[in-house]
Amino acid sequence: MELKPNTIAELSELLACANTRGEKISSVDLAALNRVLEHKAEDMTATVEAGMTLVAFQNELRQRGQWLPIDPPHPETLTIGNLLSANSSGPRRFGYGTIGDYLIGMKAVLADGRLIAPGGKVVKNVAGYDLAKIFVGGQGSLGVVVEATFKLRPLPERETFVQKKCNSLAEAGTLIEAVLDSELTPVVLDLHNTSGSYSFVLGFAGTNEEVAWQLDKASALGVKEPASLDYDREFWLQRTTANKIAVLPSKIIEAVQGLNGASFVARVGNGVIFHNDTTAPKKADLPLHLFQRLKDEYDPKHILPELTL
Amino acid sequence: MHPEGKTSLSPRIVDAFMAIVGKENVVYGEQELLVYECDAYTLEKNLPNVVLLPRSTDQISQVVKICAQEKLPIIPRGAGTSLSGSVLAVTGGVMICLSRMNRVLDIDFRNRRALVEAGCVNAWVTNAAKQKGFLYAPDPSSQSACTIGGNVAMNSGGPHTLKRGVTTNHVLGFEIVFPDGEIVWLGTRPDGSEDVPGYDLRGAVIGCEGMFGIVTRVLVKLIKAPQAYKTLLGIFESVDEASQTVSDIIAAGIVPGAMEMMDQMITQAVEAAYHFGFPLDAGAVLIVELDGLAAGLDKQADRVVEICKKNKAREVRIAKSEQERMDLWKSRKRAFGAIGRLSPNFLTQDGVVPRSQLPEIMRFIRQTSDKYGLRIPNVFHAGDGNIHPLILYDERDPQQVKNAVAAGNDILERCIELGGSATGEHGIGVEKIDFMAKQFSKETLDAMKMLRRVFDPETRCNPHKMFPGSKRCGDFAGKKQISA
Ligand SMILES: Cc1cc2nc3c(=O)[nH]c(=O)nc-3n(C[C@H](O)[C@H](O)[C@H](O)COP(=O)(O)OP(=O)(O)OC[C@H]3O[C@@H](n4cnc5c(N)ncnc54)[C@H](O)[C@@H]3O)c2cc1C
Repeated sequence: MELKPNTIAELSELLACANTRGEKISSVDLAALNRVLEHKAEDMTATVEAGMTLVAFQNELRQRGQWLPIDPPHPETLTIGNLLSANSSGPRRFGYGTIGDYLIGMKAVLADGRLIAPGGKVVKNVAGYDLAKIFVGGQGSLGVVVEATFKLRPLPERETFVQKKCNSLAEAGTLIEAVLDSELTPVVLDLHNTSGSYSFVLGFAGTNEEVAWQLDKASALGVKEPASLDYDREFWLQRTTANKIAVLPSKIIEAVQGLNGASFVARVGNGVIFHNDTTAPKKADLPLHLFQRLKDEYDPKHILPELTL
Repeated sequence: MHPEGKTSLSPRIVDAFMAIVGKENVVYGEQELLVYECDAYTLEKNLPNVVLLPRSTDQISQVVKICAQEKLPIIPRGAGTSLSGSVLAVTGGVMICLSRMNRVLDIDFRNRRALVEAGCVNAWVTNAAKQKGFLYAPDPSSQSACTIGGNVAMNSGGPHTLKRGVTTNHVLGFEIVFPDGEIVWLGTRPDGSEDVPGYDLRGAVIGCEGMFGIVTRVLVKLIKAPQAYKTLLGIFESVDEASQTVSDIIAAGIVPGAMEMMDQMITQAVEAAYHFGFPLDAGAVLIVELDGLAAGLDKQADRVVEICKKNKAREVRIAKSEQERMDLWKSRKRAFGAIGRLSPNFLTQDGVVPRSQLPEIMRFIRQTSDKYGLRIPNVFHAGDGNIHPLILYDERDPQQVKNAVAAGNDILERCIELGGSATGEHGIGVEKIDFMAKQFSKETLDAMKMLRRVFDPETRCNPHKMFPGSKRCGDFAGKKQISA
């Protein structure tokens, strides 16, 4: 069953009804819930409905000099709800973390139609369990997030990217260690081969002085060719999903070597590689019995989609 | 006074515990147990039946399995610095104290992470990492005593969590023993990736106030220590002006590492205790610490000074040396300790308001102080809107005890009305149970209980906490401290 509610109350009713009948929900379209409910710049927080796209949200925040520092692929079509349920991230993850780090409250409708509101609107809050966390990366399997409140950041005065082309992975590896050992505090630390050769990319953000100082330092390490994040956009233009390998950050070069020359973008600082290679990735050792118990508790009739791993 | 349903423990079970953890690691008998009758929230007290001091995860699992068979409550404990009674053995039970599992096990500087036992003291992590220029960011003011396990359970913050976030933002993963004795690793493993597929159970457990199981080993993130600091001390005529300065700094797009306020009464007490050189006649002092790369920090500091001046700061001092900066922080972090000079007892509250409501809540605290005839000094994480009114009272006067509790309740209720929360760091525990229904709907509370059922279906782990309707310990301070 596909749901396209106009209001939260309507979604509640539709879910309650489907749950009683045990009808499976294949998709929930929240296009009608697409507004910024509140942006309190003086508090650096904002509340947004889950159907709004990330781009639209960022555009509103930008008007008052702030942003949500999360930069996943396809922000023009990605809704806040999907961003949360997929826990997507982008190149700036090294500097800013992931969406869960900014989420301070939410409203969600459970499978049986009950509306819940864990968290709140203040940046620090430990009242009750941190229930919102189970919905981040939960793929909509435990409930439907309808509203979220985030803490925000000021837009940096300046943001700049530089790169260095490397002839070999060994050269890239040496460069990575040099940057990590230096005083640089990049927000982007990527390696990719989408333009043929290996490109090592650094991004700096902050005040003009901070960025200028870092550009100097990076240049001394040989990373000075002006760059942009177009490689990431282009990589994702051709696909909505890619294979992913996640390793201990220090094993990134080793992991890239195993890719048989396939096209890849690697988040070097985080140990995450998106790639084209088709070799099946190693299965992680996960507490699946707990995942099952969580699902059974929140969606006992399994009407919402199952978590896919 | 003991509530109904007090736990009893047969000598046979105590023997079984001794066989597992060793006789010397079992605390038994009323006198010996007194240390464990409460945490830093002293209005309610009760003794556990026994306290165990295990030395390994395996011992904990074995002990917990016996508790499961015998249906005994288990209460995890770190250093006992909780300020909300979250370690209180409400109906007695088996307290499992992590203080002998306190080692830093491994530091992986390359991957910026450290593996520690849950009983490891917070400050020890940074101490072990700082020679190589790294630190563990969350720095509760109790950091020289409180444990990483306690921090995970409470999702603790500290002065420097304004820019960097709280415990949940800095804990990658941990090992936990569930109430049935099962040992599971949640989140990132020591040699594993940051990205863990599936539900974020790590995040769901952090902040559970010890109600889901016993955390035994923790993998924390280390961050590079800032290259430079600029620590400013703004001296204001009034709390209002200092509060406005906080809002204006945030509005200017500056996110300091920390932004802490002390009002006149606390400043005087801190000065008498530590002789830092705080002015005694100022209405409020504001510590603003900028950190990061040295480049451009001066310019930011200039802007902060400008904003302070615009809000009529009498004077803005800048720490001239690392020593001066450390002294300033020492004074701030020991502020609670200075209260002894003002009053025999105090109740610390922990409300949060949107930052822009700081002037309003500070006015309300002054009114509340007048209303109940109790002095209420304030020292708090102003940048986060996280207030810590310290309500002074004398426990020998029952009316003052009642008034202190009532004043605290009024303030927290006002925080919730202003769009905030009853607790920013200290947790609900037994103290703030009544606020849960004020802050959350029944549906939300039920959804929280569902989460608890996933991990502790028998609700045996740290029971009678957090949820309305929990058993209470009876009258406040019903059981007088017996001098040891
Ligand atoms: C002077 C003072 C200043 C303080 N300043 C701050 C501050 O700035 N920021 C802040 O956030 N807090 C602060 N606190 C509160 C307190 O220090 C924190 O809540 C701290 O995290 C508690 O750690 P602990 O080891 O003392 O835990 P305890 O008090 O022993 O226990 C606290 C809770 O954690 C659970 N627990 C403990 N260890 C484990 C474990 N291994 N596994 C599972 N559950 C466990 C307990 O069951 C209990 O529910 C302060 C307290 C004092 C006394």
